[in-house]
Amino acid sequence: MAAESMQDIKRRIRSVTSTEHITNAMKLVSAGKLRKAKAIFEKTNENSHYITHTIAEIFNSSQDIPPEYLAGNREIKTTCYIIVTSCRGLCGGFNSNVLKEAQREIDADWEKPVIFAIGSKGKEYFEKRGYEIYGDYLAPPENISFLETREMSVPIIEMYNRGEIDEVVLIYTSFISSMEQEVKNVTLLPFEIEKDPDIIRNSKPVEYEPSVEAVFNYLVPKYVEMMIYGAVVESATCEHAARRMAMENATDNAREMLDKLSLNYNRARQSAITDEIIEIVAGSEAQK
Amino acid sequence: MANSVKLEIMTPSKMFYRGYVELVIARTLEGDEGFMYGHSWACKLLDIGELWIQEAGAAPDDFRIAAVSGGFIDVKDSIIIYTDAVEWSEDIDMERVLSEKAKAEDWLVQHEKDADPNDVIRAKIAITKAITRQNVAGGGIRRKR
Repeated sequence: MAAESMQDIKRRIRSVTSTEHITNAMKLVSAGKLRKAKAIFEKTNENSHYITHTIAEIFNSSQDIPPEYLAGNREIKTTCYIIVTSCRGLCGGFNSNVLKEAQREIDADWEKPVIFAIGSKGKEYFEKRGYEIYGDYLAPPENISFLETREMSVPIIEMYNRGEIDEVVLIYTSFISSMEQEVKNVTLLPFEIEKDPDIIRNSKPVEYEPSVEAVFNYLVPKYVEMMIYGAVVESATCEHAARRMAMENATDNAREMLDKLSLNYNRARQSAITDEIIEIVAGSEAQK
Repeated sequence: MANSVKLEIMTPSKMFYRGYVELVIARTLEGDEGFMYGHSWACKLLDIGELWIQEAGAAPDDFRIAAVSGGFIDVKDSIIIYTDAVEWSEDIDMERVLSEKAKAEDWLVQHEKDADPNDVIRAKIAITKAITRQNVAGGGIRRKR
C-alpha cells in the first residue's frame, strides 16, 4: 500500500515539476515581452497623450466645432463599442475583466450594439453570444502599426457620419503599473466639452484654413485614430503584465504544492521503512 | 536676433522635433506659409510638401528641411505640427523613394482606367510624396538664395 502511494506521489511530483517549468518559462518570456512592450508603450503613450491632449485642447477652446461631433446635439440610439482584448489566453483576468465591463455596458443599452473587436478573445466571446461583429483586428496587438489602426477607424468614422452609429465607446485595459491594470471605458464620439475652469476659452480669434469644417473633419478622425492606437498599445502592455502575474502565481502555487508533495513522499517512504523494520524485527523475534 | 518660438513636431510614434525656431515654412492646403514669433492664432491643415525650419540663432539662409506627408499645424503661443510621417532631408533613403515612385507610376499606367478610384488617388498620393521627398533630399524646391 505504502509503496503504491509512494509511486503515486512520485508521479504527481513529476507532473507538477513539469508544470512549474512551463509556467516559470512563460513567466520569463512574458517578463521579457513586458519590458519590450513597456518601452514602446511609454514612448507612444507620452506622445499620443500629448497629441490627443492637443486636439482636445483645440476642441475645448474653440466655439466653432461642427455640432454633429458635440454631445447633446443628437439623440444617442446605436452605440458602437470598440473592445480591445488579447489573442491569447493564460493571462489571468485580463480578457474577462474587459469582457465583463463590455457586457455590462451592452446590457445597459437596449439598442442593438455595433461591435468592433480588436483581439480574437473579444470576438469569440461576442460571436458565441449571437452579437454581430462589424469589424475586427485579429493579429497580435503588440505589432499593430498606426496605419492598421487607421484602417480600422475609417469605417467607424464613416458610419458615424452616415448616422448609423451615434456614439463610439472604447473599452480597453489601462496600464497603471506592472502589478495593477484597470479596465477603462472612454467615449470617443460625440465629443464632450469639458467645462474645465483651467482651460481658458481663447479670446483671440483663430484662423482656420481652408475652413473650420475642413479642419475639424480632419482633426476628429485623427483624434479617434490616435485614441484607438494608444489604447491598443496600452492594452498589449497590460496583457504581458497580466500574464506575467498569472504565471508568477502559477509558479508559486506549483512550488508550494511540490513542497507539500515531497513532505508527503518522505513521510510515506519513512513509514514504509518503519513497516519493513517492524516486520523484520517481528520475524526474528518469532524465530527465537 | 529675432524672437524665437517653440516648435514641436509630432508623429504617432515619436516626438520628431522640439526646439526653438525663428521661422517655420510649411505647405498648407492654400500654399506655402511662414510662421514666426507672434503669429496670430491659427489651426491649418498641411498638404504633402516641404517643411523649412530656421532654428533660433541660425544664419539667415540656414534652413533645415523635412518632407511632411500632410497633417495640421496649431499655432498658439507655441507652434505644434502634427503629421503622420516626416523625414529630415538627410535621412531620406533615395533608393527606396525612387523604387516606390516607379512602382506607383507603373501601377498607375496599367490600371488608371479600370481601377477603383480610391486606389488611383492613393497611387497619386504616393507619387506626390515620392516627388516631395526627392525634392527635399535635393535641398528643397525653393532654392536657397
